[in-house]
Amino acid sequence: MTPALSRIWFAVVTVFVAATINFFLFRVMPGNAVSALRCRACTPQLREALLNRYGLDAPLPEQFLRYLGQLARGDLGISIASGRPVWQEITGPLLNTLPMLIAGTLIALMLGVISGVVSSWRRGTALDSTTQWTSLAFYAMPTQWIGLLVLFYVAAAIGLPAAGIQSASLGVLGEPSLWDLLVDRTAHLILPALTLGLGSYGQYAIIMRSAMLDTLGEDYILTARAKGLRDWEILRYHAFGNALLPMVTMVALSAGSIVAGAIVVEDVFSYPGIGFAAVDAIGKRDYPVLQGIFLLLTVAVVVANLIADLVYVRIDPRIRSGRVAVG
Amino acid sequence: MVASPSGERVVSVPTRRGTALRLITGNRQTVLGLCALGVFALIALLAPVIAPTPVNTGFSNGFSAPTAAHPLGLDGGGFDVLSRLVHGAQTSLLVGTIAALVGMVIGGTIGFVAGYFGGRTDGVLMRITDYFLVIPDIPLMIVAAAVFGQSLTNIMIVIGLVYWASTARLIRAQVMSVRQRTFVKRVEAMGASPLFVLTRHVVPQVTPLLVANTVLMVANAIFAETYISFLGLGDPSVMSWGRMIQDALDQGAVVAGAWWVVLPPGLAVTLVVLAATIAGQGMEDTLNPRLKVGHLAVRRFRVRPLHGAPDRP
Amino acid sequence: MGRRILAVLAVLTLLLVGCSKGAGGSGGGGGGDTDNVLTVGTTYYISSLNPFVGIETQDSTAYSMLYPQLLQYGPGLKLEGDWAESWDESPDGRTITFKLRDGQWSDGTPLTAEDAVWTIETIRKHAEGTTASMAKVLAGVGAAEAPDPRTLVIRYDQPMGPALANLQQMYVLPKHVWASHDTGEDGSGLTDFKPEQQLPVVSGGPFTITKYEDKGTTVFTPNPKFYGPKPHASAVALTYYTNPTAMIADLKAGRLGFVETVPFKDAAQLKSLQGVTIDSQPGNEVTNFGFNSSDAKKQNRELLDPKLREAFEYALPREQIVSTVFGGEAKPWADILSGWSGDWVNPKVQPLPNDVDKANQILDSLGYPRGTDGVRQVPATTGERAQPAHPMRYTVIVPNDTDYDGHLQFTLLQSAFEKVGVQLVEQAGGDGTQAYELITAPDGKYEDADMFTWYWHPYLDPDFNLGVVTTSELNNNSDTGWSNPAYDALYEKQRTTVDVAARRDLVWQAQAEIANARPYIQIVETNLVTASSTGWTGFEPTLFTLGKAYYTSPRRA
Repeated sequence: MTPALSRIWFAVVTVFVAATINFFLFRVMPGNAVSALRCRACTPQLREALLNRYGLDAPLPEQFLRYLGQLARGDLGISIASGRPVWQEITGPLLNTLPMLIAGTLIALMLGVISGVVSSWRRGTALDSTTQWTSLAFYAMPTQWIGLLVLFYVAAAIGLPAAGIQSASLGVLGEPSLWDLLVDRTAHLILPALTLGLGSYGQYAIIMRSAMLDTLGEDYILTARAKGLRDWEILRYHAFGNALLPMVTMVALSAGSIVAGAIVVEDVFSYPGIGFAAVDAIGKRDYPVLQGIFLLLTVAVVVANLIADLVYVRIDPRIRSGRVAVG
Repeated sequence: MVASPSGERVVSVPTRRGTALRLITGNRQTVLGLCALGVFALIALLAPVIAPTPVNTGFSNGFSAPTAAHPLGLDGGGFDVLSRLVHGAQTSLLVGTIAALVGMVIGGTIGFVAGYFGGRTDGVLMRITDYFLVIPDIPLMIVAAAVFGQSLTNIMIVIGLVYWASTARLIRAQVMSVRQRTFVKRVEAMGASPLFVLTRHVVPQVTPLLVANTVLMVANAIFAETYISFLGLGDPSVMSWGRMIQDALDQGAVVAGAWWVVLPPGLAVTLVVLAATIAGQGMEDTLNPRLKVGHLAVRRFRVRPLHGAPDRP
Repeated sequence: MGRRILAVLAVLTLLLVGCSKGAGGSGGGGGGDTDNVLTVGTTYYISSLNPFVGIETQDSTAYSMLYPQLLQYGPGLKLEGDWAESWDESPDGRTITFKLRDGQWSDGTPLTAEDAVWTIETIRKHAEGTTASMAKVLAGVGAAEAPDPRTLVIRYDQPMGPALANLQQMYVLPKHVWASHDTGEDGSGLTDFKPEQQLPVVSGGPFTITKYEDKGTTVFTPNPKFYGPKPHASAVALTYYTNPTAMIADLKAGRLGFVETVPFKDAAQLKSLQGVTIDSQPGNEVTNFGFNSSDAKKQNRELLDPKLREAFEYALPREQIVSTVFGGEAKPWADILSGWSGDWVNPKVQPLPNDVDKANQILDSLGYPRGTDGVRQVPATTGERAQPAHPMRYTVIVPNDTDYDGHLQFTLLQSAFEKVGVQLVEQAGGDGTQAYELITAPDGKYEDADMFTWYWHPYLDPDFNLGVVTTSELNNNSDTGWSNPAYDALYEKQRTTVDVAARRDLVWQAQAEIANARPYIQIVETNLVTASSTGWTGFEPTLFTLGKAYYTSPRRA
């Protein structure tokens, strides 16, 4: 199997493993699955009907196969709290979260680049240390705490909305113009995205800095300087290029942690995205929704990792040949 | 230094007496980090003694700014923030340490077994490990915590069960490299028992790395505990820093402008996580003084995509 | 190349922002005065536009705005006619004749008594199944007739004291829209029907709904064909907030005209806000400390002793709870009904003072000595249901669906009970349904639980809440599992007594019995704290879910 194919196969199996974990978690819960269905004023007949509806009265292997079959069709089950298909419950929130995640990643990249450039350009100085410590400090802070600080100090100061995704008065009497909608949505997006960005820029700062240091030590930089190229141009043409690949790969690899950050950030800012839906499902112990979200997030992270892996397979000659030189 | 097929760094630890001491003192970062951790651990251990007031005694109806009697003020329930912080230290550090130990035991064992026996055992175990590496950790923890209920023990086990994977990879690589050393092969060829090889050669080479990794994992675990508590999945009967952050939001500290409730728990978590991170990183650097930061650094994040310390070039 | 990637990402973001507009119907009627739109913030969401499905509090508000009700509550919480112009009760109390106003549904179809008859008969037909949630309002109804389009006659099998109050909760549905859905097993088509997929809703009330988002903004626009007083606002936009902090933030920023529930502890410092008026009055929420009072209880059976529970009431720090948990926006309370029930409330039922010595005295006299650690010991008992000796250590289930900080209240209870030698342990209760499961565990047998803290929003007519502690409500609305045949008989009697004075005596008696037996110890009655922008006036906060004036009467100041 070529390295690329083996990576894809690995991704598929990982999703399968996650789905299996999902399945067993729900069914090995303390208490029994019926009590998890939480039926107020349940007559025995109603319980039977519910068991049947969720397929919990069949033997375990049969349940598992049915579960896999459903997954293959994209059926994530039915929400306990609302009775609607899980898919329906999470598609809207998912669409809400994506712009915020992207914006947050962009902010993290920007901050990381700035921090990395500054600290490598002034390497060894106090500025270097301060920048590095700052990025590490933000990375160590719990993201929800950063969110609280942003709520506290930034929201009021800048006058940005501290919660929600859209102003209440927008679109009440007729559809708002696209421009109004975009402006309003973006305004609501900024603080949560800023929080995400602050919490995760540390890793990009490190990559940027080390890529810069690598490049700056290379011989051709000396040549470039001798030729009279200005520092800024050197940065742009050589160092950035060097850093680009690891940065992009890092974005893919950090999908897992940014997703975790999004969950708490959306809680703090009442941003109705997928993270918020997860928090809501936790509060209601709506296991099908919770597990549907988990599976979805896993698939997203797996795909992101796969992309990173495939990119590496392409560019790293050592891995492509399937062997690593000893040295 | 050998690069294993999957690209982890592998270190060569000279088996000298005093390795342990060197591990702890050989690097300024490590010393700094361990000292800070030590201070926090001391606070946590002495919590019932040094907390100015009992945790659940109310002094007012609500938020109250810091005064001499209450250096960090009172929170929304009228409880002394400093006392809660000190008691919270106990929980957070306990959870962090035990969860890290759980992860270390599981990960270390699996890594050991895989590295020592090699072959198909290794293949199977590492495949499983890789799955766990990719599956997003915090969401899995959240689902598991929601399912298994809100007791402190369960939380510690859940965190440990999710975080073992990177340790497993690291230990396995190290064990494998040790086994492949020429002198070990010679010793085995001379008829030494596997147990002898294990205790005299493999274990001393692996243990320092395990220790360094566990310290890093403590940081991860405390970080994870704040997430879990924040989402209301923590044990309601114990105070923890994650709970304090949750209370800050729930009690309307932001609306009331009560900064003395918002700042301390987050700062505490940040400091402990920072301390553990630089201590662990420092230990790893001690074990591997000639590590060059390059593309492999990115690979390293694949092993544990949550940490990176400023690297000294 | 880096720049190109960034550009692509930026465009993608904008596209996604534009695309994710969330669920919703067609845009509302264009034009209209945006200044005259009332934006309401709430932390309760509308779960369904189908009255047979929705059980959330906010659903009732929506239904009362969409559908005619025979009766409603008006200012001062007086029962008045909504669709009914007047009504007449027969001397034996078994027949009520309503004279109805002339009206039309929003699509022009005439609104007649036939719609009421169809609604009543459909509810009764499927009362054991799909319409069970609405069936209780028709308790005792035998038949309904429409002798002419503006007259409705309802016949009861037996005289019903709460008949009129019950009818207030019935929403008359348009037969021409709903009749075709009465299909399937036991009318399952009725619960499958989703009116939110066919906006605007065919309405007979003051508003129709032109946009619906359960977790977003729902828009009510006036129905010009409504028979009653027209709304002053040009529309009402109800926005759901997942947490009150976000809602308050928008209130402060001037984006909301009215906030339905201000968190108790925020009330004090919001009072000084410019442009915002905070209104606080006695409310309709009674919080309680409940005991598993079922004889099926397996452990800690000393909790079944009313005398012990009386001691616990002396240990309860109500004043402290009022000030710390509710920021002063509550008062100590002992009745199962709230003050909104007016004359139905028995004035002799009063909370016991917080007297730690008295509590200790009673517990001592009951024979529970203190152990070395300060926790009282319960000696072993013999005979059937024998219990070993054990400490007084009890688990309290704390649900998370409260509008106050349940965990905070628990910590206050915990330290208060330490003083009388009782150790309390908190158990997270989850949301309402999950908490109920835990409280009645296992499987509704009431065997495991010790205690819980919760709340009720009592109905104004005492019938429902007095009924919660009857034997027939076990496994349904009864969370305490209390069962007393003598009380059941008393309850039935007040239920079938139409004469108000006679009924009141019985109701007072019932309340006194509950207060003595203490399946619940009521803690506080909270205030209703709402906030409104100074640009608006005419709010009727107490009519939430109770009357149409809640949305129709606010107007620009």
